[in-house]
Amino acid sequence: MTQARLDTFQVIADPSRRQILHMLTQNSMTINSLAENFDMSRPAVSKHIKILYGAGFISIEDVGRERYCTLKEDGFNELHEWLKYYDDFWKSKLKKLETLLNKKSKK
Amino acid sequence: MTKSIQHTFHYSHAPEVVWEYLTKSELIAQWLMPNDFKPIAGHDFQFKTKPLPQFEFDGIAYCKVLEIEPFKKLSYSWKGGIDGKTTLDSIVVWTLTPTATGTELHLEHSGYVDSNTAIYAAMNAGWLKNIKKIADLIIAEKI
Repeated sequence: MTQARLDTFQVIADPSRRQILHMLTQNSMTINSLAENFDMSRPAVSKHIKILYGAGFISIEDVGRERYCTLKEDGFNELHEWLKYYDDFWKSKLKKLETLLNKKSKK
Repeated sequence: MTKSIQHTFHYSHAPEVVWEYLTKSELIAQWLMPNDFKPIAGHDFQFKTKPLPQFEFDGIAYCKVLEIEPFKKLSYSWKGGIDGKTTLDSIVVWTLTPTATGTELHLEHSGYVDSNTAIYAAMNAGWLKNIKKIADLIIAEKI
């Protein structure tokens, strides 16, 4: 795979890729059955799948002649970590603002 | 799991006072980060902080004032990245509501993740536990 690795947010910024993830929340699906849901060519769908795979959002398993895509935790964990980081970041900053304001009013 | 990062804080100060701390560069720097903010819609500014290599963030948030309504609402875009590549494109919205005892300050920080319920459905912890089960079933079925 020569494709440059996209970061988590670039990966889910694309509506088709989000749709693929959404379809996979119902069940694992083959690349062919995923492709049936899109107007784009199968190679174009494959490319999106490769990107999702590269970012840890899905795993791909060969079963007979079919390739099955299944959601994988890794990509989602990265998103979760980002949210957690900023959540804590803002919480601590807002507390700091409170301290500052209270100091100011005591002056 | 929420759809974006949201915090509501109550400060026992009037909205005018809290507003100053949101919109005056030197006051923002005291609690948030060094910056060159100006309270003008369309103004481009930066926040500087320590780099976060795990999020491909070099420590500079590139921002633009989107909306400014004195003492009520302030929003700015918040973009971060590394090596000239944007890895985070998000929006920060501050809303101030006067209360009997001061100000209720609401913060919403949303990114690509915000408008995306599918991602959140998928991030549901209970569901994630089933991933492996489903995969096992498919394989069992085929064998």
